[in-house]
Amino acid sequence: MLQAPDLPSIFFYIIFHGLPITLILTAHGLIWGFLIGLLLALMRVYGTREIEWVAIAYEKVFRGIPLLVLIFLFAFGVPGLFWFIDPLYRTLAAVILSLALRSGAYQSQILRGAILSVNPGQQLAARALGMSRLQAFRYVVMPQALRMALPSWSNEYAVVIKDTTFASAVGIIEMLRVTFRVVANNPEMLFPPLVILAIIYLIFTYPITRFFGERQTQKLKDLGLGG
Amino acid sequence: MEKPLLQVKNIWKAYDELQVLKGVSFDVEEGEVKVIFGPSGSGKSTLLRCINMLTPPDKGTVILQGTNLMDSDTNLNMIRSKIGMVFQHFNLFLHLKAIDNVSLGPRRVLGLSKDEATERALDALIQVKMEKWADHYPAQLSGGQQQRVGIARALVMNPVLILFDEPTSALDPELIGEVLQVMLDIAKSGTTMVVVTHEMGFARAVATEMIFIDEGVIVEKGTPRHFAISPETERAKQFLHRLEVLYGHHEELLEPEDKEEGNS
Amino acid sequence: MIQVLPRWLEDLLTVLSYSDELIAGLSTTLSLYFTALIMGFFLGLGFAIGRQYGGIITSRISTAYIELIRGTPLLVQLFLFYFFPYSLSATLELLGLLPLPLDWSIQIIGPGGQVITILNHRILTCYLMLGLNSTAYQAEYLRGAIASVSAEQLLAAQSLGLSRAGGIRSIVLPQSLRRVIPSWSNEAAYLPKYTVVAYFIGVEDLFAAAHFIVARTFLTLTTYLLVALIYLVLVTVISRILDYVHDRTKIPGL
Ligand SMILES: Nc1ncnc2c1ncn2[C@@H]1O[C@H](COP(=O)(O)OP(=O)(O)O)[C@@H](O)[C@H]1O
Ligand SMILES: [Mg+2]
Repeated sequence: MLQAPDLPSIFFYIIFHGLPITLILTAHGLIWGFLIGLLLALMRVYGTREIEWVAIAYEKVFRGIPLLVLIFLFAFGVPGLFWFIDPLYRTLAAVILSLALRSGAYQSQILRGAILSVNPGQQLAARALGMSRLQAFRYVVMPQALRMALPSWSNEYAVVIKDTTFASAVGIIEMLRVTFRVVANNPEMLFPPLVILAIIYLIFTYPITRFFGERQTQKLKDLGLGG
Repeated sequence: MEKPLLQVKNIWKAYDELQVLKGVSFDVEEGEVKVIFGPSGSGKSTLLRCINMLTPPDKGTVILQGTNLMDSDTNLNMIRSKIGMVFQHFNLFLHLKAIDNVSLGPRRVLGLSKDEATERALDALIQVKMEKWADHYPAQLSGGQQQRVGIARALVMNPVLILFDEPTSALDPELIGEVLQVMLDIAKSGTTMVVVTHEMGFARAVATEMIFIDEGVIVEKGTPRHFAISPETERAKQFLHRLEVLYGHHEELLEPEDKEEGNS
Repeated sequence: MIQVLPRWLEDLLTVLSYSDELIAGLSTTLSLYFTALIMGFFLGLGFAIGRQYGGIITSRISTAYIELIRGTPLLVQLFLFYFFPYSLSATLELLGLLPLPLDWSIQIIGPGGQVITILNHRILTCYLMLGLNSTAYQAEYLRGAIASVSAEQLLAAQSLGLSRAGGIRSIVLPQSLRRVIPSWSNEAAYLPKYTVVAYFIGVEDLFAAAHFIVARTFLTLTTYLLVALIYLVLVTVISRILDYVHDRTKIPGL
């Protein structure tokens, strides 16, 4: 670290050293969470009572436990959980697993709502054309559901990227941890690095939630979806 | 004599306790236009959905071109691709432009290439006079325009039979004419149609036979002329009278030569 | 004869022998939760009304506050809030002003004249920051509910001769407060989980208790599972209660 760093160099230092891991955690959490969420949503919408019950139970459990507890549980509670991974990356894997399992529970709700809001008449029309159930889902329900999910998704993205800060507790060098490194090296500057971190977060959340929250919602309304 | 295109025999259907269809039978010959009418809740929509098995009947048989659709080894998706369906509320795919709504079936069900499917879709849109609106999304179209796209979506599959479920009853009165006109054109080109509608003008113009359904049974059958002049059952008489009071006539929407017949 | 207990049960009993720590931690967690929820509700209501009905400045400020809080991680907010007084006194010192030993705490003068700290800097930081954070989220839910009560309702109230404030208070709010319950339940069920941030600045909440137990016993799996279960039960009970309240307060026909 430079001596008596100026604010822009703190900004870039945090971005340079912390952002990659923050984004990796976020992307993995969201993508795996999406796959889990999609599976759960399908289980809930199309499954038998028993299958639906399993999905509901999953959601309840992972929406009820703090992320930090999940992280510690998977990082330290189950040694050998990631025996197949280089020990260097096991904690990272535990964090990703926690983020994904929890995000899956929330994304399931988002997707389920979106799937249910596609009016059933369109599925009927697709079936009447001779499409199989799967085709009707793939070409008619899913494209609309994914679009309708976008605004809620942007919120979920914001939740996940903000919550990657919890990974700092188990030693992952994400942006918050890097910020504390700056603070440790420059004890006289307690406050500015944290303010800069907050600004970085704003840059990575606000434009996206705003774009999807407002512009996309308007676009959906223009399509006659979701309004 | 040649076998009928479609044979519907003794169809029964119940939703839980509610017995909706109680033994409905009729045949549809090739090139025929069957008009089905009757009070709301009498089971007309259910009957149409039983014909293409979107709602499988509890009992009875449906035979299309010699294939029994109730057989468990019948490929229903293949059969459905040969039966067009037009819905009361259009049910267009909201995320697709008009042209893509129409080409989706040819592409995904008939397996045509994108270009071929689009070309065919455009032909179908021309048939319903909607080619100018090909690039519009459903939400940008009026109800009448949406319904014409819905008809094109059925036409494009070259179906042997098209089912219409009250295609004009969700439309504002001034938009009904354009849809009926398209349906007339299709009927006159020899397409076999089963149409649930209360548009008596349309029925008089092209129906080969009309079927009056009430409470899940066929109460009376006859030509448009028969129902216009001498309906036999009290229920049909009353219902037709109510229709006239409620809806009036849309004869003025039809072309001159139809009008004369309609006024008879 | 000595009955040998299964291993997991033995572990569980060992962890449960720290029930004092667990209970103390849980009560801290609960007090953080309820304080933040209640504080967030009243402040959030203020911000929601400010954003919806306030003049341009009030509504801008409310909006900015809500977006700032929602756009940044709670942990970062917590640390900022935690360090703020230190940073402030450091700055004052730098400027040659009186270096006050600043921190957030509530103290009273005891009967003997001695200073008693009721809430120390750490815990007070948590109470306030969790509350301020929840304020923003609750404000958004409340505003959504207020906006969903049609503007005509307020016009109708005013046409009866009610003032604008009177209309908001007696017509708009009663309706929106009922409507907000389902979405507000989300925040109410989110918040208990986020009280774990307290652990990061050394407050002895439930999670810190777990940490303490792990340090003593090394029973990581049992401890973290047990704590996970406690949080789960807590969140479930809260959701159930809110569902019940929602059922009881529904406006018939809506
Ligand atoms: N999917 C369904 N589940 C349960 N009841 C239904 C369903 N579809 C239709 N019904 C009931 O069956 C009866 C006939 O409906 P329908 O066939 O739509 O009549 P129509 O088209 O003649 O108005 C009505 O009482 C309706 O409520
Ligand atoms: Mg119907």
